Amino acid sequence: MRLEKCWFCSSTVYPGHGIQFVRNDAKIFRFCRSKCHKNFKMKRNPRKVKWTKAYRRVHGKDMTQDSTFEFERKRNRPERYDRNLAETVLKAIPKIDKIRVTREERHHKNRMKGKKEKLQKEAAKELEQSISLVKAPSALQKDPSLTLPQKIKVSVSQRQSEDNNAMEE
Amino acid sequence: MVQYNFKKITVVPNGKDFVDIILSRTQRQTPTVVHKGYAISRLRQFYMRKVKYTQQNFHDKLSTIIDEFPRLDDIHPFYGDLLHVLYNKDHYKLALGQINTARNLIGKIAKDYVKLLKYGDSLYRCKCLKVAALGRMCTVLKRVGPSLAYLEQVRQHMARLPSIDPNTRTILICGYPNVGKSSFINKITRADVDVQPYAFTTKSLFVGHTDYKYLRYQVIDTPGILDRPFEDRNIIEMCSITALAHLRAAILFFLDISGSCGYSIAQQAALFHSIKSLFMNKPLIIVCNKTDLQPLEGISEEDRKLVMEMKSEALKTVIGQGGEATSDDSVLLTMSTLTEEGVISVKNAACERLLDQRVEVKMKSKKINDCLNRFHVAIPKPRDQKERPPCIPQAVLEAKAKEAAEKEKRKTEKDLENENGGAGVYSMNLRKHYILANDEWKEDILPEILDGHNVYDFIDPDILRRVEELEREEGIRQAEEENDEFEIDGAELTPEQQAALAEIRKKKSLLIQQHRIKKSNAESRPTVPRKFDKDKQYTSERMGRQLSKLGLDPSLAIQRMRSRSVSRRGRKRDRSPEGADGGDRMDVDGDTPGKKQRLSRSRSRSRSVSRPPHEVVPGEGLKDSAQKIKAIKLAKKSVKKRNKEARRGEADRVIPTLKPKHLYSGKRSTGKTDRR
Repeated sequence: MRLEKCWFCSSTVYPGHGIQFVRNDAKIFRFCRSKCHKNFKMKRNPRKVKWTKAYRRVHGKDMTQDSTFEFERKRNRPERYDRNLAETVLKAIPKIDKIRVTREERHHKNRMKGKKEKLQKEAAKELEQSISLVKAPSALQKDPSLTLPQKIKVSVSQRQSEDNNAMEE
Repeated sequence: MVQYNFKKITVVPNGKDFVDIILSRTQRQTPTVVHKGYAISRLRQFYMRKVKYTQQNFHDKLSTIIDEFPRLDDIHPFYGDLLHVLYNKDHYKLALGQINTARNLIGKIAKDYVKLLKYGDSLYRCKCLKVAALGRMCTVLKRVGPSLAYLEQVRQHMARLPSIDPNTRTILICGYPNVGKSSFINKITRADVDVQPYAFTTKSLFVGHTDYKYLRYQVIDTPGILDRPFEDRNIIEMCSITALAHLRAAILFFLDISGSCGYSIAQQAALFHSIKSLFMNKPLIIVCNKTDLQPLEGISEEDRKLVMEMKSEALKTVIGQGGEATSDDSVLLTMSTLTEEGVISVKNAACERLLDQRVEVKMKSKKINDCLNRFHVAIPKPRDQKERPPCIPQAVLEAKAKEAAEKEKRKTEKDLENENGGAGVYSMNLRKHYILANDEWKEDILPEILDGHNVYDFIDPDILRRVEELEREEGIRQAEEENDEFEIDGAELTPEQQAALAEIRKKKSLLIQQHRIKKSNAESRPTVPRKFDKDKQYTSERMGRQLSKLGLDPSLAIQRMRSRSVSRRGRKRDRSPEGADGGDRMDVDGDTPGKKQRLSRSRSRSRSVSRPPHEVVPGEGLKDSAQKIKAIKLAKKSVKKRNKEARRGEADRVIPTLKPKHLYSGKRSTGKTDRR
């Protein structure tokens, strides 16, 4: 029993899930669910479909090369069973996983490094340009700070309301 | 060698079916349409063709029947006699003869009617002639019906005859019923003949094949023969007699020593003597069967004498062949098909005798010299008198002995399985024979999947070292990371800046939303003037609220707005007389002047000039321009309101009924569908 990788989105296919397609040239395509299968049938390139791992790797969103990936490799020649080796392997797998996860996080953080600064600059620019939407220029002249104006109450007299009624037929 | 295979004869249809087949074929394969108005030669040709075609088909089919059935004189006498025994030669020949005459008769009929058709003078007459011709042909065939049925039966039976090759090496088994002939053939060949306690279980010849010295031998099992005069024999017995008579084979005469077949040895001996003429020139072996019930030594004196008589007869055949009168081993044999002792030796003896005889005959024939010339057997001459037996080294002998002993001692997995409950219950422990560094590990279970990974992909003898390296590297990287943890915090926004920003963004999104709504409704939304705003968007309160939100004082603006509305109304009244004055520039009395002016206008200017928009021409039942102007104004006023409200007017196209029934009901006229 093996866990396979989906050809389209690179997620793991557990036993009992998905579909396997064998082409006439004997190449096997495994899919984790019908979404991937249908996309494949539509001849979509996974490197161009945003939500797949292939896209993320190609466009630098996820980590591509790392030594933690070297640990997991499909081996064709079986090793003779050794209890100690088995113990070490079983202990090592979670450690490797943890390291890989931390490295991916680091990669993500690096990617997002300049974001805060950029956001701040954009905010400042927007404030400067669009302040007229919330505060009239004349009010701004009087009070150059960015405090929002308070609402001014206007009283409407009775006579004028009659005129209004006559106007609105 | 010709294979006597009667399975390839085509089916003979019975009379009615035959007629049906031929007539339907004529119907299908010849043209069917003919009219009265055709030329007479064409009509004649049409009907002649039908008659000839039918005759041709009859001829073909009957000829195939006649050709495919074997001629009893042309085939091997064994088959000829066999077919005679089974089907009666005369009856067979008669049936085929009748078919032949039918064929000729049909040919004659066709010839006559074609001759008559040549002089047919109308469609009706030609047609009658054709009908008569076909009818007579079919009657002929109907009369032959019983023969066809008989031939069909014969064909079916012939197809099931055993394919016996009369020229190859054959062993024939004969004897009384129930002596054990079929059991013997079952033992030495793969034939599966019925063995039952009643007599005449075997009703026809059965063939089996067996091998001896790399040669194939046919073994033929015959039905039992009773001791009767020749004329009284029934068909089944005649089959075996035929086989005995015609096949050049080794004969095994079966004798039941114990008498459990129901016939005594005396009776069997009598049979033997009555058919011994058939054993001329054939290797004969007398086989005493059922020795498990009664051994040969234990029979009575008279029986023994009879048996010896038979043996002497059999020996005569041996001598007749030129062989030596050796032992009676090759002539009188005992066996028991139940316990299977002696069966193989009987077969071997028979095969040996037959082979010798055949070889002798071949040697005596003329063709043998050709064969002999073709090969030469080289025999090396002995160098000296020393004996050189085969030599097996001692080690090999010992090893062989040890292996034999081990084989008996060792317990196999199969034995283990049988002990522990059999195939379904016990499943062998495959791990028993694993070769591991430590035998305790044999029963260990290693998980295949852990945390979404395949464990087998990680197994590596170096893994410990590599993981340590990795952890070290990770530690270094983490230390580095901590050093440049600090990110330069730029200018953070103050809370009031943040509030302003939030407000700006809110306003922007609202604008975008409104624009989107406006855009999506654009085609179906009517452009209604502001006067009729049903959402009450354009009220002075709203304007006041929005201005105050922006920080401006709205009171002045509201006042201005109100004063403006009053003045607007007043100004409207002031404006209209101006328009009327402009229009009254021309008098009603000045009709002609108007015309003159128009004409002069047209005369003075080379190009034509369209009338200015406010110029009103009197006419159409109205007194003067002023009246017309008023009329126009009234008309315009009456529609003004409706137009502004964007409502449907008189000139706008109206569909009184959107789905008139006559267009939406009923079928289409061409009948394409049931609905429109």
